[in-house]
Amino acid sequence: MKAPLRILVVDDEAIVRDSLGGWFRQDGHSVDTADSAREALRRCEPGRYDIALLDIKMAGMDGLELQSRLLAADPALTIIMMTAYASVDTAVRAMKAGAYDYIVKPFDPDDLSILVKRAAEQRSLRAENQRLKQSLDTAAAPPPIVGASAAIRHVLDLVQTVSATEATVLVSGESGTGKELVARAIHAASPRRYGPLVVVNCGALPEGILESELFGHEAGAFTGARARHQGKFELADGGTIFLDEVGELSPKVQVELLRVLEDKAVTRLGARAPVKTDFRVVAATNRDLQERVKAGAFREDLYWRLNVFPLALPALRERSEDVRPLAEHFLTRFTASMSRKPIRLADEAAAALAAYHWPGNVRELQNAIERAVVVTRGDVLEASALPLAVTSGPSHPASGSLEEVERAHVEAMLRETGWNVSQAARVLAVDRATLYNKIRRWGLKRPVDA
Amino acid sequence: MRSVELHALGGLAPERARTLAARLSRRVGAPCRVAEAGAGPVALLPGRDQTDADALLAWLESQPVRDAVVLGVTAQDLAIPIFTFVFGRARSGGQAAVVSLARLDPAFYGLPADEELLVRRGVRELLHELGHLARLPHCDHPECLMRFAGSVEKADLRGAEFCDSCAERLPDWMRRGSP
Ligand SMILES: [Zn+2]
Ligand SMILES: [Zn+2]
Repeated sequence: MKAPLRILVVDDEAIVRDSLGGWFRQDGHSVDTADSAREALRRCEPGRYDIALLDIKMAGMDGLELQSRLLAADPALTIIMMTAYASVDTAVRAMKAGAYDYIVKPFDPDDLSILVKRAAEQRSLRAENQRLKQSLDTAAAPPPIVGASAAIRHVLDLVQTVSATEATVLVSGESGTGKELVARAIHAASPRRYGPLVVVNCGALPEGILESELFGHEAGAFTGARARHQGKFELADGGTIFLDEVGELSPKVQVELLRVLEDKAVTRLGARAPVKTDFRVVAATNRDLQERVKAGAFREDLYWRLNVFPLALPALRERSEDVRPLAEHFLTRFTASMSRKPIRLADEAAAALAAYHWPGNVRELQNAIERAVVVTRGDVLEASALPLAVTSGPSHPASGSLEEVERAHVEAMLRETGWNVSQAARVLAVDRATLYNKIRRWGLKRPVDA
Repeated sequence: MRSVELHALGGLAPERARTLAARLSRRVGAPCRVAEAGAGPVALLPGRDQTDADALLAWLESQPVRDAVVLGVTAQDLAIPIFTFVFGRARSGGQAAVVSLARLDPAFYGLPADEELLVRRGVRELLHELGHLARLPHCDHPECLMRFAGSVEKADLRGAEFCDSCAERLPDWMRRGSP
């Protein structure tokens, strides 16, 4: 037996209520009737009925108004309007206002039977979609932000607050602190979560390619542009665009970006007219953008456009109590993904992890654990499995500015890899463009005899 | 022991009523006789050339009977205000039902008359309404007599038998017959 429906029949004529009530009960459904709009509203509450049949013309309140009030009380209610020939126009208006369908009195018994069956099928389809969406929610859930420190709890609070809004977010933090993770968390908790999350690394591409990546181009816009190409802003329509390393943008692209943010529209390279697109921006930088503004390298107007809701991520060394839980989280994850038996973290290894200053932050920790899982044969992760940089004691200068510490570390890594920039970037958990920028900034030179 | 009393209404030919009674009696395995009483009220729906099925049902329900089920069979087209027509009417658990032969007749659809087909459809419709009197709701089984049919084609499709689970819920007196 098919699932019985819960049906509400609203009509001021007793004969209609009685005969429809009897008819639906004969079909195995449960039926309530109401002789007025007021009675219908009194009975209706979220989830109480599957289908309501409303007479479009009743004394007191017309069916259209009753429909909008019932839908306000229970948005999931399926409404079928009952109408006389004379008021079919009104019924069509009702459908535009959210009625599922209408049926003209007197009904052909077969028509009503088919209509109700179809409405029931549509409802179960909708319920199925709902379930699917929920499972998608779980599947698309971003990796958790792990940690119990006050610093990270504060970040999680801010993420939750800003998710519900449309505000542009500027995430700042050192490389590897999890800026993209935060962007994903914001997107996943926002009303745009069923829309796309489009990620652009602004520091990784030369100016010309980045422009066409961001804004798209028409066929023939430049040599080699054979086909039309949709830009990331267009692809982010209905969703979120994550602009990573926004501090690396060239002055020209900064101007173009500012215009897109102001107009909520993009003009593809080589196109005449802009295309409207509905995106939300989360930007990120590992630079001090305010410093860059002062230095004249970053437009102040763009800075203020992006910095609507600033969100600063703590460096891992500022939340050292999270190192062990994070390490154990990665340990569990990698042993599972490599189909390995559980591996325990040796105390000595944990101590080494805690003592290290993690210039590459969480990403460096993650890489260290991944590497250690690969080299570990037994069920204990020993300190010897950790990268040399972690275990070689306080090799890093105990004093000195953050930048000095970072520079020393980067130099050490470049030396260790024989100036293989790609490999060093991987170890440092930054992308190559970032590493090149640092090399340039600090004027690091490859030793001639290397 | 339960029996069926069949009222010929709305100009139904007496031989047709007797044929229906005999066939139904064989199906349920209980006596089924044609009543001698009056022809019932002729109540037309306002503005429609159709008999008010509920008025007819009310009259049948008011007939004095002892331990019998009252079935009305009419040659007139039946309807109720909310529907363009009905094949029959019965209250779940009631003791009377009414069935119209009008739309079971191939002639209604411009097809050649077929007495055997008409009687066969009439008996099935009566059995369907008897099912409602036995408190059976409509059934989803594609070939069950208790499946709802909004057209004569669909009524023909559902066949002549109750499905097993509906048959199980029929009262004993309706289960002694042969198909
Ligand atoms: Zn029925
Ligand atoms: Zn059945």
